[in-house]
Amino acid sequence: MLSIISLSLFGILNLFLGFLKSRRVLLPATLLFIALAFAANLLDWNHQYVYFRDMLRTNNLFINFSSIILLTTFLTVAISRSFGTDEEHTHPAEYYAIMLFSVVGALMMVGFENLIMLFIGLEILSVSLYVLTGSDKRSLRSNEAALKYFLMGSFATGIFLFGIALVYGATGSFNLSAIGSYVSGGPTTGISPLLYVGLLFILAGMLFKVSAAPFHFWTPDVYDGAPTLFTAFMSTVVKTAGFAALYRLLTVSFTGVYGLWWQVLTGVTVLTLLVGNITAVYQSSVKRMLAYSSVSHAGYLLIAVAAKTPQSPSAILFYSLAYSIATITGFAVLILVAEQKPIEGRPDERYEAFNGLAKRNPLLAFSLAVSMVSLAGIPLTAGFWGKFFVFSTAVDRGMTNMGMVLVVAVLMSVVGVYYYFRVIIASYLKTGDSEPIGIRPLYRFILVLTTALTIGLGLFPDVVRQLF
Amino acid sequence: MQPTIPDVVQTIPLPYYIWFASALFVIGIVGVLTRRNAIIIFMSVEVMLNAVNLLLVAFSAYRSDPAGQVFVFFIMAVAAAEVSVGLAIIVMIYRNIQSIDIGLLNRLKG
Amino acid sequence: MPYLSLLIILPLLAALLVVFLPNRNQTTFRWIALVASLLNFLLTLLLFFRFDKSVAGYQFVEQTDWITLSLGPLGVVSIDYFLGLDGISLPLVLLAGLVLAIGAISSFEIKQKQKAYFALYSLLSASLMGCFVALDLFLFFLFFEFMLLPMYFLIGLWGGERREYASIKFFVYTFLGSIFILLVMIGLYLSVADPVETAVAMGLVPGKELVDANVIADVQNYLQEGRIEADQIVHTFSIPYMAEPGNYLPQSLLNIAADHVLFGQSARMLAFVLVFLGFAVKLPVVPLHTWLPDAHVEAPTPVSVVLAGVLLKIGGYGFIRIAYGLFPDGAIVFAPWLGGLGVLSIVYGALNALAMNDLKRMIAYSSVSHMGFVLLGLASLTSEGVNGALFQMVSHGILSAMLFLIAGVLYTRTHDRQLDSYRGLAARMPGYVTLTAIAFFGSLGLPALSGFIGEFFTIMGAFNSPYLPNWMAPVATLGIVLAAGYFLWTLQRLFFGEFWSKHEAGLLTDVTPRERLMLVPLAALALMLGILPGILLNLTQSTVGEFLKNF
Repeated sequence: MLSIISLSLFGILNLFLGFLKSRRVLLPATLLFIALAFAANLLDWNHQYVYFRDMLRTNNLFINFSSIILLTTFLTVAISRSFGTDEEHTHPAEYYAIMLFSVVGALMMVGFENLIMLFIGLEILSVSLYVLTGSDKRSLRSNEAALKYFLMGSFATGIFLFGIALVYGATGSFNLSAIGSYVSGGPTTGISPLLYVGLLFILAGMLFKVSAAPFHFWTPDVYDGAPTLFTAFMSTVVKTAGFAALYRLLTVSFTGVYGLWWQVLTGVTVLTLLVGNITAVYQSSVKRMLAYSSVSHAGYLLIAVAAKTPQSPSAILFYSLAYSIATITGFAVLILVAEQKPIEGRPDERYEAFNGLAKRNPLLAFSLAVSMVSLAGIPLTAGFWGKFFVFSTAVDRGMTNMGMVLVVAVLMSVVGVYYYFRVIIASYLKTGDSEPIGIRPLYRFILVLTTALTIGLGLFPDVVRQLF
Repeated sequence: MQPTIPDVVQTIPLPYYIWFASALFVIGIVGVLTRRNAIIIFMSVEVMLNAVNLLLVAFSAYRSDPAGQVFVFFIMAVAAAEVSVGLAIIVMIYRNIQSIDIGLLNRLKG
Repeated sequence: MPYLSLLIILPLLAALLVVFLPNRNQTTFRWIALVASLLNFLLTLLLFFRFDKSVAGYQFVEQTDWITLSLGPLGVVSIDYFLGLDGISLPLVLLAGLVLAIGAISSFEIKQKQKAYFALYSLLSASLMGCFVALDLFLFFLFFEFMLLPMYFLIGLWGGERREYASIKFFVYTFLGSIFILLVMIGLYLSVADPVETAVAMGLVPGKELVDANVIADVQNYLQEGRIEADQIVHTFSIPYMAEPGNYLPQSLLNIAADHVLFGQSARMLAFVLVFLGFAVKLPVVPLHTWLPDAHVEAPTPVSVVLAGVLLKIGGYGFIRIAYGLFPDGAIVFAPWLGGLGVLSIVYGALNALAMNDLKRMIAYSSVSHMGFVLLGLASLTSEGVNGALFQMVSHGILSAMLFLIAGVLYTRTHDRQLDSYRGLAARMPGYVTLTAIAFFGSLGLPALSGFIGEFFTIMGAFNSPYLPNWMAPVATLGIVLAAGYFLWTLQRLFFGEFWSKHEAGLLTDVTPRERLMLVPLAALALMLGILPGILLNLTQSTVGEFLKNF
């Protein structure tokens, strides 16, 4: 809770910092703010609090999810340099502030106890992201991405709200546990059909936010058009928060109708895995490939949600952590590589841009390789354990229910190897420019850190897993 | 005695509200899916949100539970924030291509 | 002495040393890799002499806790660093030690990016050794998967023209296989309890050291009666525990007695098929073999040598240790199918080899054919068959290493492996002819050379097997006839007649001392095993005898 309040204040403080002549304090200050929020977050460890008359709830699960979100934000901010291309039009203070505000929204989505809070958290997050997506004002691609994201996002919000309204009509409450007791308590007249329709609408809205197929169509365009830094931010923070919210909503309120949403989710899972992975194969831009890969990872995470075993939250946590770290690394390397030789004034994000990377900067190539290997789910990396835990939940739920999903997931992770390795092939096996790429110390530190984390979590998953 | 607002609301049966709100909502969806002008799409989204508001108010009155009406205020406030960001984005686009027809936006191909 | 850990650590140290030494002196890297692999080979010889042949169980066992995860109501998962050696793995460890050392010598011809090459080569050695000695299924799987990465880069960076295609094909095929294994592994860990750790968790005994056979029997009884709380059950990946039906949770997915049904099939049968497919890609079994010729053709000589000599054996080892060891019921049910696939591989591989004009591709298909004998011998589930299959693996490891070195000799001189580019080489390369002849005759199963013993025993096993139909052994013999055909024909095309070559005659010089150093010991070994097969069969016999009691 302290973390939510402090982050809101820090965001405002950040706006004031923007008045300072010197911009050099901004980045360290923002990093410090995030670190402070992270520490404040940990204070509540092993305590359960409910705030504002059942509006928010903090517990260890909340702290775990928000720690992952804050860690990812920290990493993203640390690899940021300037926003936009020319000095005159950049307003770093604003962007840092908006990022902090969006994290506030994400944290509210993780800890909500009332659908009002879920809605507000979702909107704070989304509206901030609309702005961040369009932050490269001069670039038509960024504009277009922002407009698409905005129109589709508010459309999804409308559907999501309509669902909430219907659920409210059926149950008479926005409170998660109250809805839960209505659903599983079984009212004498039977569960109102409004609830079923409402649940489907809510699901559609949430699945849109986490970019699960068939609600994923906006993802590639938006991720592709947005400045890469914010793409990294979106694809990690939104996903983690979205899944935390989805899992919480479905398990606390709608356990009673598991049979209904389980079927919907398994269908969506299979579709997401197929669409995400197969389309990713055909991309010629690494950025778009990573966008589709984020769709496919939504599919893997959905497996754990659909399985709904006691182990699901920790599986989702571990998977989000592994995925976030690897994705940030991937995008961090992409930012550096793509800006080396711009094509027509915009970064070169094709696979060819990575040719010969191992020669140009071994560290970049190595951390990229580790992150791709982790995303592909190969042992001794964090991504493997993520897949392992997720698949375990499915096996635990029973093969008769989840067998089909597992088969698809297995086949698709093999497809994943193909497109992730294309990047590794380009950077190690192909020859390209030999001009070395220089990196700043902080950037280098972040890359080393994320790579070490990926391998460390791969070797000793129990260290973190025990906390979950 | 003056009738209270819930009483007035309840002179119309609840299903009528549901059907009316659903109709508005569907009109909004159709608008989003078929129109090409960004402003009109945006207005259609607003119609969807207002359908939700109407529905919430109706439920709230029938259940004599203020929570639904509180939610409506939140939706209105958030929608206002969304409008300002959305219009800013549309203005930004208009400055670049002198049009707000979403059919012209095809630089990103999926 | 932690001998088995040393087997893994030595090459790892070499890899680290190579990575962290400065780039200035490129030649030191190969010496480091060579010394490490030679030391490793000596270590395997030491193991050979210290191994007690009469004991069937695991020897040189090392076990420490590695990862312990509490999964709440699913119990505790414990992954151990658990190594051991028995009569099944020892011959393969010996083979791996030898072939990796030969491969290190052969690697001296690598001239580009030596640092990366030798680091990856050492890494590959470590994971190959790890595969053969790991007794924790998870640890095994880690080595099994991790091996793909260095192999992928070794083919992809130092390979021939179509190296990218070959390396990614290799990777995707084997990765698909290993994902199947992963699925079964998850099923197994949910089904199997570690009786020792469970006893400690239940509070029956204060510490692991105090657990004796009685306590284990008690725990297994409690387990079968369902009297242990779910969160006290310690799940395990230990292969020896997985092999005991008593350790399976009563209602678990893979319990024999519970007989769960999935997709209309018995769960255990499905699991067997998945594991089988996973290792069949590696062996390789037709029709999953198509990556092999591509990988071999593109790989540089030393990598081909390791690929054929050691990597393929992991497929066979996996069959014995995991597919057969953990699912003996599946092995019996599917015996005719597996035998049939073995025969198919033998004949299909041989027919393809007959049609090839590229020397390496021909050898690759002959490998497919020879590994078919391994599968046939295993499927027979007879003492002759299984011992023969192990023998065949070692023999094929030696002979195929030789064959690929021989192909490499030609390739380093002319960069051309097409058979029709040469004729009458006998006149110019007498030493080469002799060594080639030994390798070819060994491979085609001439008595007194090692290939004969392996093929003879496996076919005898197939004859005697109660599980295999009678037609299989005779059809498999057809494979030997075909092998004689393609090897002799190749010999004739390359060496006999008037000397003629597409290339400058001056290029075609006889084998150098370094090549001799690699080929002669292998030839001698092939001859020794052919005359004294007892050296190897004595090692495997008692373990295989114990192993066959499961069927």
